[in-house]
Amino acid sequence: MSRSFTLDRRHLLRVGAVSTAVSMSGWMGKLAQAAEEKKVKPKRSCILLWMNGGPSTIDLWDLKVGHENGGPYKEIEAAPDLKIGEHLPKLAKHGKQIAVLRGMSTKEGDHARGTYLMRTGQLPGFAGIQYPSIGSLISKELGDPKAELPNFISIAPQRFFAQEAFGPGFLGPVHAPLIVGDNQFNNGQGQNIDTILKVADLDKPKAIDDMTHTARLEMLREMQEAFAADRPGMVSKSHTAAYDRAIRLMQSDGGKVFDLTTEKNEVRDKYGRNLFGQGCLLARRLVEKGVSFIEVTLGNWDTHGNNFELVKGLCGTLDTAWAALMDDLKDRGLLDTTTIVWMGEFGRTPKINQGRGRDHFPNAWSTVIAGGGIKGGQAVGKTSKDGTTVEERKTTTADFLATVCLAQGIDPEKTNMSNVNRPIPIVDRGAKPVTEVLQ
Amino acid sequence: MPTRLRVAALLAALVFPATTYGADPAPEPKPVKDPADTIAAMIDRHLAKDWEARGLIPAELTDDAEFVRRVYLDILGRAPKASESRAFIDDKDPNKRAKLIDHLVKMPGHANYFAAVTRAAWLPQTTTNFQLAQFGYQFEVWLRTQFRENTPADVMIKRLLTVKVTVNNQNPMFRFVQGDPTDPDGQRLASFYQANEGRPENMGASVSRLFVGVKLECAQCHDHPHAPYTKAQFWQFAAFFAELNPLTGPRPGFVGPLQPQSDRNTIGIPGTDQKVTATFFDGKNPDWRPDRSPRLELADWLVSKDNPYFAKNMANRIWAHFFGIGILDPVDEPGENNQPSHPELMNDLGKVFAENGFDQRLMIRALARTKAYQLTSKMTHPGQADPRRFAKMSLKGLTPTQLFDSLVAATGFREPAFMRNQQNFGFVQPNNPRSTFLARFASNERPTEANTTILQALMLMNGQFIGDQTDLSKSEILASIADYPGWDTKQKVTALFLTTFSRNPTPEELEKFSSYVDRGGAKGNDKKQALADVFWVLLNSPEFLFNH
Repeated sequence: MSRSFTLDRRHLLRVGAVSTAVSMSGWMGKLAQAAEEKKVKPKRSCILLWMNGGPSTIDLWDLKVGHENGGPYKEIEAAPDLKIGEHLPKLAKHGKQIAVLRGMSTKEGDHARGTYLMRTGQLPGFAGIQYPSIGSLISKELGDPKAELPNFISIAPQRFFAQEAFGPGFLGPVHAPLIVGDNQFNNGQGQNIDTILKVADLDKPKAIDDMTHTARLEMLREMQEAFAADRPGMVSKSHTAAYDRAIRLMQSDGGKVFDLTTEKNEVRDKYGRNLFGQGCLLARRLVEKGVSFIEVTLGNWDTHGNNFELVKGLCGTLDTAWAALMDDLKDRGLLDTTTIVWMGEFGRTPKINQGRGRDHFPNAWSTVIAGGGIKGGQAVGKTSKDGTTVEERKTTTADFLATVCLAQGIDPEKTNMSNVNRPIPIVDRGAKPVTEVLQ
Repeated sequence: MPTRLRVAALLAALVFPATTYGADPAPEPKPVKDPADTIAAMIDRHLAKDWEARGLIPAELTDDAEFVRRVYLDILGRAPKASESRAFIDDKDPNKRAKLIDHLVKMPGHANYFAAVTRAAWLPQTTTNFQLAQFGYQFEVWLRTQFRENTPADVMIKRLLTVKVTVNNQNPMFRFVQGDPTDPDGQRLASFYQANEGRPENMGASVSRLFVGVKLECAQCHDHPHAPYTKAQFWQFAAFFAELNPLTGPRPGFVGPLQPQSDRNTIGIPGTDQKVTATFFDGKNPDWRPDRSPRLELADWLVSKDNPYFAKNMANRIWAHFFGIGILDPVDEPGENNQPSHPELMNDLGKVFAENGFDQRLMIRALARTKAYQLTSKMTHPGQADPRRFAKMSLKGLTPTQLFDSLVAATGFREPAFMRNQQNFGFVQPNNPRSTFLARFASNERPTEANTTILQALMLMNGQFIGDQTDLSKSEILASIADYPGWDTKQKVTALFLTTFSRNPTPEELEKFSSYVDRGGAKGNDKKQALADVFWVLLNSPEFLFNH
């Protein structure tokens, strides 16, 4: 017993919340119990809208109209107590579901480090603990390991700033995202978006007919079984499991969810015919299929020059897609169980530079949470008149991520076993969640 | 015509092995005992003692086929080509394993592979952060020379720690580190500092983790929760690199009351008023002298023969490379919860490493010669399941580069040099199969716990590269085997096994796959396609995709 325990110690420990002090049978029992509990909970999902490059939140969520730092934009009313930027008119109609956190104050103003911080909740420590991305952490809590589709799907991520911040870290590849539309930089411009958003290599080679394909898989299965019989253990098991899941995805209906051509044209138009828009449509389809965590990336927010022209354009894309997503989720009764999180790696300087641009600014900026678990129609936190400092409800990355967890009924202090054999909480202990926005 | 010539050349290589490792015609005089044998025997003694004490029956020794594949993967970073496996398997020399090991460590591919592995371990941030990628490439060039020349580990690390660098602190977001232009390796070595952002705390954390074998960085912000390292200790170690920070006090050599180091050896702990002075782990301070920099003091302390950390840590890292798991594992986090599996072996390993002048190639030759390394990965007794007893070889995942280079060797893909050398700086080049494989198979798992992802499985089953290599009109080796005149189906199937698995098929496998081909595959009308199916199956099999 003790020997086989040692064999898979780290993997077993990673499976769930653990206390190292509890005996083996004790926490195995707990695991089983936790699995039971999971079944009865209503299915929840989270959609992260990731704004790569650092969005100019002062022009979207926390305008400084009249101040020299404010720029040319006006405010519009999204709810009685919530005003937002004029270039988000469609989204403003969903203001009652939206909460803006205006007190964000984070520690990193570099793309790579900021990306890592916001997506893992941790400062990048070189080669230390391999922290998982928030998508892996949340999908592990919400997801069903036996589901047809992976529990974490990443749509058009732009991982070049900090690849680690997009991975499962110490949770292991089981919690890695299934990525579609990798390495796209211009919002799908000039490309076939329908192809980009499909799972890579999901279709068998065209020259191979069904009979041959089946025969190949059967022969492969025999080779896998023979190999695993001689060499039992996690490595060979994981290999067979990945092939099983891949084949299931190829053969089942699950894979069809990525085929957007089955949607009506007017629906597709409503989201905007660009990579982000269609990505949001795919996200809605994935929520319908019960996928727990989906992220959709909109890039090009690094507006060091010509900020106001660029942000207006980006807002158009964002507003159209996000509003359509809210509409559809609401129509399908899914908005109460789907939390939508909007953030980038940092905000941008209130001071407008000589090129009419804004530079990196982590000191005072905004993020947004909407939908399931959220008390919308409000902004929490306040920045100074010039937008440079937080005056009320200063919110750190950990505070924010803890809020995201709680909105979905996840205990942010729950621990996972790390690659250094130490339990690590989902969010650092001592975080002060912004409870004002929680239902 | 050219095509036919090419096919003939490929087949010649396949059938008539040209490699003649160590086949020197003149018999050498009886050599003195090779220290690699002495070390190997010492290791095997320790392990055997442990097995006996636990009543553990170790697995059997590998056959030649399993060994040749493993040792190529571990030393050269790729599986052997069919001709190479065949040459080894057919060789009758009883000493052929040692000969092969000695041959492989001298191949240029070995230095390149170890440089890549070392760079990934020492500067992992350069594989994931595209802003830092170029510094990783530059540093790897320096590492290649070190492995090619077998520079002793202490010399290597002392050179790295004492190289002259200049830090430009003007941009608070990004410090530029410049090497000494008069030093031919200056810029390459400086890239190690640059990849650590030119910050004392990053350098301290890296050097402690890599060369001392103690991960200190958790103590950067607070006292280490599970080990006896304090925040102050972290910053005391980082202070050896304080000269990377802008100087605040009078510079050494400044006219006036001269302090030995000015503030080159002190650093402020962020968020506090506290300043600490560079101090070794044992609490001692160097005898500061103006002509010796803190980095020089650190380097001398680190690589001195009395240092209890350095030799053991470095030897354990080489061990972990060959066995997939260290004697202490994680290799950089000793503590109450992480004790070495074989403390005496670990001590002796460090001792022989130091005694033999930190000769890394000798350690590689010794480890590969051990019986333990040459045990099969097939489990014959449940007691062998625990990888930390080393009673059978652990199954190891392939690194992305190992996988792609093995695919090249197995399929005969003629990879253009520009594709091989293309540096992607974090961006995938869609038309470069190496680039797409490296991106899809990137992993930071330890090799004995390698997991396969869905996207990896899909790529191997349906992706273009393996699609092309199992397509008779586009493939290299497959087409030449399928068309080889005079070969019957069994010989063709055997050739496919040899090129993918480095072994001959078992009689059952031969029978099964040959009859599939002879009946014309699934559709019953295409023997050549059926042969392609067999190749596809073998390339997708775990026996090909893992180091076993």
